[in-house]
Amino acid sequence: MAPHSPGTDQIDALFWIGFVVSTIAIVAINAGLIYVLRRYRAGRGTEPRQETGGRHTQLRVGAVLTIFAAAIFVVSLIYTEKARETPATGPAGLQVSHSEPLRISATGQQWLWRYDYPDDAFSFYRLVVPVDTTVELDLSSTDVVHTWDVPELAGKSDAVPGKVNRVVFRADQEGTYGGQSATLSGQGYAAMRTEVEVVSPDAYEAFLAQQNRDIQTAQDRVVSLIASGNEP
Amino acid sequence: MSGSPSKRPELVIDGFPARRPRWVEIVTSANHKDVGRILITAALGFLFIALIELLLMRLQLVIPENSFLNPVTFNRMLSMYGMTAIFLFAIPLALGLFYYVMPLQIGARATALPRIGQLGLWLYIAGATVLYAGLLFTPTEAGVNPLAPFSERTFLKNNGVDAWAAAAILTTLGFVLIATDMVATLRTARAPGMAWRRLPIFSWAAAICSWLLLVIGPVMLAASTMLLIDRNFDGIFFAGSAGGAPLLWQHFSWIFFTGAYMLVLITALAAIAEIVPAFARRPLYNRNATIGSLIAIAVVGTLAWLQNMLTAPIAIGWMYFGMIMALALIVPFGLVIFNLIATLAGGGSRMRAPLLFAAGAISAISIGLAGEIGHSMVGLAWRLQHTTDSTGLTHFTLVGGAVFGGFAALHWWFPKMTGRTMGETLARMSFWTMAIGALLAFAPLLFAGSFEGQVIDTYKFFDGTGVNGYNLIASIGSLVLAIGIVMTLANAILSREGGAEAGHDPWGGDSLEWFALSPPEPHNFDVRPDVRSDRPLRDIREAIAQQTRGTEQPARESQPVA
Repeated sequence: MAPHSPGTDQIDALFWIGFVVSTIAIVAINAGLIYVLRRYRAGRGTEPRQETGGRHTQLRVGAVLTIFAAAIFVVSLIYTEKARETPATGPAGLQVSHSEPLRISATGQQWLWRYDYPDDAFSFYRLVVPVDTTVELDLSSTDVVHTWDVPELAGKSDAVPGKVNRVVFRADQEGTYGGQSATLSGQGYAAMRTEVEVVSPDAYEAFLAQQNRDIQTAQDRVVSLIASGNEP
Repeated sequence: MSGSPSKRPELVIDGFPARRPRWVEIVTSANHKDVGRILITAALGFLFIALIELLLMRLQLVIPENSFLNPVTFNRMLSMYGMTAIFLFAIPLALGLFYYVMPLQIGARATALPRIGQLGLWLYIAGATVLYAGLLFTPTEAGVNPLAPFSERTFLKNNGVDAWAAAAILTTLGFVLIATDMVATLRTARAPGMAWRRLPIFSWAAAICSWLLLVIGPVMLAASTMLLIDRNFDGIFFAGSAGGAPLLWQHFSWIFFTGAYMLVLITALAAIAEIVPAFARRPLYNRNATIGSLIAIAVVGTLAWLQNMLTAPIAIGWMYFGMIMALALIVPFGLVIFNLIATLAGGGSRMRAPLLFAAGAISAISIGLAGEIGHSMVGLAWRLQHTTDSTGLTHFTLVGGAVFGGFAALHWWFPKMTGRTMGETLARMSFWTMAIGALLAFAPLLFAGSFEGQVIDTYKFFDGTGVNGYNLIASIGSLVLAIGIVMTLANAILSREGGAEAGHDPWGGDSLEWFALSPPEPHNFDVRPDVRSDRPLRDIREAIAQQTRGTEQPARESQPVA
């Protein structure tokens, strides 16, 4: 899972820190456990020591653990804050006025994502965004809790009815990124997937225009069907 | 109980003759040992049922896009599995062990409020019955934690979630009642001289977990009641569209589930802290700090509930609060595990089944907790949560705590409950099968989740997402784990009547439950011992050794008198 956004770069770096920390903790505890079980066996001539431990050892171990926890906290805080920063749109990206991010709303519903673009175009399942452009997704839901998860572009965020959650990313490379909803939402949950297609700004504009034309054509057809007396 | 002539002249009678059939005596008994045994037996029975549900789910997930189970059936399996594993197995097993052992450890003849404890047991049985009655109509399909608004009637019209909520209310109320009895017992029924500072660590854990249940139990009672009101009486507590607050359910439920997670771990660690010193033949290293750490785990651990909600739309400050609490747990968990290992160091360990399972529990719990560090680092949690990494870690911790730890406790106290020891060979075979099974079943989930991002709770996964091999191994591992667990369950059933006679004190324990007969008389002790230290039975042994010095030690026809 290669990161393709400034936010996921930070998350990926944090992942490797967490991976190393957890691995060290697991290896240290299990190695210690196996060592004492093998070393201090009955019948190896060791009489059990009867001391019950002292305040000093305990304070020392406690201090080491506290420093360990505090260090993890500080490192996580730094990387999390970096991951939360809203990056500026790059030179190759779509130049939106006032250097504002491109706002797209993503609405979860059983079992599909709907994306609403700034100029009334919308799409289902596939989100098309321009490359090198800061995109802010406003997540919400019309029914139950869903989780928007495209791991290469952003961390997970829940779409909760009645609330708005934000996801910010800036895709650094054109291509298609897969994703899947990550909160159980019913029988269609496993199939509730999504796709983010990152294209050049020109292709993005062309996509919006095409989407608008298609939506207009579909609406005209419905209107004409109703006018001709044939219920659609 | 009846019929045999009195072997003990200091007693006028051996007890009242049984007038009713044995099963009537047992189900109407308010004796803490009968209640505790039923709790433990029922919990182990539900462990078996949970295993079947787990295996069916893993069978569905053995190959990509399998069609063995349809999504609705899978979701029902998943929901029943979660409820069974937590409410019907892990918590009642812990409470059953506490309820059986704690009064013996503190030298009490009975619990303080026996009918309250008995009511707790039967409320739990009633809750389990209600949940499984759902199989007759439509079991719940809302997931392990039935998140609102998905669990509202708008989205799930059948009665499954109602059965879930009713079962949650009945069982949780039962747990709270048992906890009430234990708190009252610990307050009033300790033997003379059994000061709090001399209380065995497992009885300390009983106190901590009882208080914990008195705090988190009502939260789940309130939440489930509100869910029932929402579903049946036009309530809007958690309804998303009508002005309710879906996040409120998440807060309530995660407070309960996080507290229950801590309860399982505290129980397991305290049982291990009883077992390890006996086999290492030395006292627990830093007893006071270990007990203090268990208290800290209960308090700080429950306050870390927000660690489960790091992807929800909550302010970043609350996420950092969850992170602080979750990372702070490194200190007490680290101290307990350090002290357990330090107790083994410098002792001459005799390797028997209880210690083997205890070591397995420490190992599995360490993997689960160390992995949870990553889920507590906010930015990283955005990647790892809701993936099978969470599933794998939760299973490492809770299978480590409730199954490995629970089996360690079972092997340890089985001689006290039945008078017989569990078969050692079968126990060892079972342990190694379980250890290999657990690693194969849950480690691949960690890799599938953290490297490939496989999401939780899906009834199928897709080809080409890089997780085929992980899921295949996990399915095979689950089968191996289940075989290992069934071996221990079979061992318990076979050893109940066919095991080797254990005597009163098979392990050389230091606490007072080994002073009672095996199995204990209904009134536990003929003579309430006088407690002078935190190792009362050792004092009694030394006193006897002094009295009988120079003469041959008489056969132990009756209980020794301190």
